[in-house]
Amino acid sequence: MSDYAVSLLVRIGVEAFVALSAYLLLVIGRVSFGQQAFFVIGGYAAGIATALYGAPLAVGIMVGAVAAGVAGALLSAVMAPVGGIYFAAGSLAFGELVRVALLSFHYQVPVGADLTGPAGADGFRGVRALFTGGVSATAFMLAVAGLVALTFLAIALLLRSRWGEAMRMVGEDETASASLGVRVRRVAALTMAGAGALAGLGGGLFVHYVTYIEPGHSDVMLGVHSLAYAFIGGLGTPLGPIIGVALDIGLLESFRFLAGYRMIVFGGLVMGLLVVRPRGLLDEVAVHRLSRLVAWGRR
Amino acid sequence: MLEVRDVVTSYGMIQALRGVSLTAREGEVTCILGPNGAGKTTLLYTIAGILRPRSGSISFQGRELAGTSAPDVVGRGISLVPENRLVFPHMTVRENLFAGAYVRLGRDRAGVEADLDAMFARFPILKQRAGQAAGTLSGGEQQMLAVARALMARPRLLMMDEPSLGLAPLVVEQIFQIVQGLNREGITVLLVEQNARLALSIAHHAYLLEQGRIAFHGTPSEVSANEGISRAYLGIKGG
Amino acid sequence: MVDFLQALVDGVMLGATYSLLGLGFTLIFGVLRRLNLAFGPTILVGIYAGSHVGLAWPGALWAVVAATVVAAILCGIYVERCSFRALARQAPVVSMISTFAVWMQLQELVSLFEASRTMPYPSPAWLPALTVGPILLRSDALLMWSGATAIMLALFVLLYRTRFGTAVRAVADSSEAAALMGVNVSIIGAAAFLLASTVGGLAGVLIAQSQQQVTPYFGLWATVKGLTAMLLGGAGSLPGAVAGGVILGVVETQTLWHFGGQWRDLASFALLFLVIALSPRARSEPTL
Repeated sequence: MSDYAVSLLVRIGVEAFVALSAYLLLVIGRVSFGQQAFFVIGGYAAGIATALYGAPLAVGIMVGAVAAGVAGALLSAVMAPVGGIYFAAGSLAFGELVRVALLSFHYQVPVGADLTGPAGADGFRGVRALFTGGVSATAFMLAVAGLVALTFLAIALLLRSRWGEAMRMVGEDETASASLGVRVRRVAALTMAGAGALAGLGGGLFVHYVTYIEPGHSDVMLGVHSLAYAFIGGLGTPLGPIIGVALDIGLLESFRFLAGYRMIVFGGLVMGLLVVRPRGLLDEVAVHRLSRLVAWGRR
Repeated sequence: MLEVRDVVTSYGMIQALRGVSLTAREGEVTCILGPNGAGKTTLLYTIAGILRPRSGSISFQGRELAGTSAPDVVGRGISLVPENRLVFPHMTVRENLFAGAYVRLGRDRAGVEADLDAMFARFPILKQRAGQAAGTLSGGEQQMLAVARALMARPRLLMMDEPSLGLAPLVVEQIFQIVQGLNREGITVLLVEQNARLALSIAHHAYLLEQGRIAFHGTPSEVSANEGISRAYLGIKGG
Repeated sequence: MVDFLQALVDGVMLGATYSLLGLGFTLIFGVLRRLNLAFGPTILVGIYAGSHVGLAWPGALWAVVAATVVAAILCGIYVERCSFRALARQAPVVSMISTFAVWMQLQELVSLFEASRTMPYPSPAWLPALTVGPILLRSDALLMWSGATAIMLALFVLLYRTRFGTAVRAVADSSEAAALMGVNVSIIGAAAFLLASTVGGLAGVLIAQSQQQVTPYFGLWATVKGLTAMLLGGAGSLPGAVAGGVILGVVETQTLWHFGGQWRDLASFALLFLVIALSPRARSEPTL
């Protein structure tokens, strides 16, 4: 497999985590423009763990996910009761706050002969655990793909469980679900923590693949893109956002011959898709039909 | 004055009205009784032009109304006081009244100003509250505002949807006196009301709407004489 | 003290344009109950059109203004057709995602015509600066403030003193009741959209002549400022959007003066975040 294909697949895998993170919040009826913040928090924390404290790669990535999950839980203390446009704007403000705060975040320690660590606007360079650990790009790509698959399975199972039912109820109508005994705040808080951890996982993988991360990676465009992915791929299944990412990054690449018109064509496709299928390619109806088809095939 | 013939209205797959016919005679109060979900609000919204009937005809003063858009229905002299009043909460009382006269605001500004004064004379409480946001009014005041707002369009037919909903008995009495007064001045009234006893006390003719169909109609005394109906809607013990 | 006053005056002048952006957002959100993320990018396209006209005919300021506003309105019509009218029956969030797709298109459109990324925008440099005691009033800031104030006054007369304005505010308050009063809700929605695009285009002129150059990031910047001004003012209130814009402007210039450039954005986002976190309204009104 060419280096180019590998890097493309890693990009799809990494963004899939941010897209799944936004998707989880959509399930509980929250539109977030701020999941990029958790991506970056995860990236910084994972990088600090491996590059500054010599943690093994897997541990570092876990640290990133946990740090972003904790950040999500902390944010939920304020944002769990907030809904609608206010949640969208609050998460946007949070994302930008994280970006601006990282611009003045300096934490460098000597590692070997050099100073390493987050250096404000210059970002955090020299996160080399992937290469010093001797992991090949292809092996890493496969690991990322495996993690995406595992995450997909875990979310699919979660959504089928009693918890998933509660999440969907909160997404439909908070007052009604509260009256039926659903602890709305707790569901929202745990979902926000989980969504943060997912985006942080993506960030940890990202920083080790490209060896650096900077405040600019907490870009609103990443957050809004990951939100759009669920609406492209379909809201009916956690596979939707993953398909959305693959279509976006895949299509963008195949549109390369259009050079300057890529975004115009892609934006037009998304607009058209939303008119025809407002809940994405794999919406609830499509998922239901597909699962019946599969059940029929098994017989 | 208003003739509804075999009107069918549906929301998506659900048929809310399955062939309703009724007549509201000029100068009378016609009331529509019926349980929740019978299609009473749907019927009023269909007449008002907010919903389109799938089939059937609605004629008003001899001219076809079905399929006419809401602005034209208001322009032709039919106003609706909606369920839960739906005043404009962030607009002042005065602005609410101006909004009620929207269809003639462009050509008859002087007439609208005169009607505003007339409304303030009829509802002194609204004059006191003229500069206040409508959302801060009490339920009864909001109901009066909703009635006054509908009158600002100078309707010949006034439709009212559950005017007693959520109001204290004394206020309800007051509202009904106003409705009766308007009727005596010549405004035809089509009234949807849960409080059947009160509605029948001012109505000339009553219809019973059940599951999207007219189940019974007659004068108030005929309705009261029907044992099944009085048991279900008037709370009178049979036998 | 003089610093504080100077920053206050600068903030009020800057804030007036934020108020305009906030009013544009409020008109669309209030009437249609949907967010138009592409609001900033539509203004961006307008400014680029104005910039090109300014390069082609130096000195033709009216042509620059007209080109800016007309281009912004055309983009606004495009957004209204594709992301609002075509999706009127869908959930509001679908419109919002669609406006994001338009955003990507407009952004690309701008970089297609403009390789250099930064565009000059003409400014009436012949205007004199004023000094009032120790306070300096820069000519571009003064123009920005007086222009924005004049536009706001005109807008408020239109919205509070005319039949059209009554209809717009009635639809924003309760579209169901407005329809019952005989207001054609969909026409009013489209008209509010056009009005917002016009206000946005004019705001674009005022901001661009003050900054004298514009980068493609202006789209994101204007959307964030407008959204913030609207939300600070309570999402949907017209006077609130004006106040929200001024507060945002003052907070920005005060932090700029006292703490330096990198804190400016931090302060405005922190303000937005705090308002949402502490506002009881945000906790009770799911509107998307």
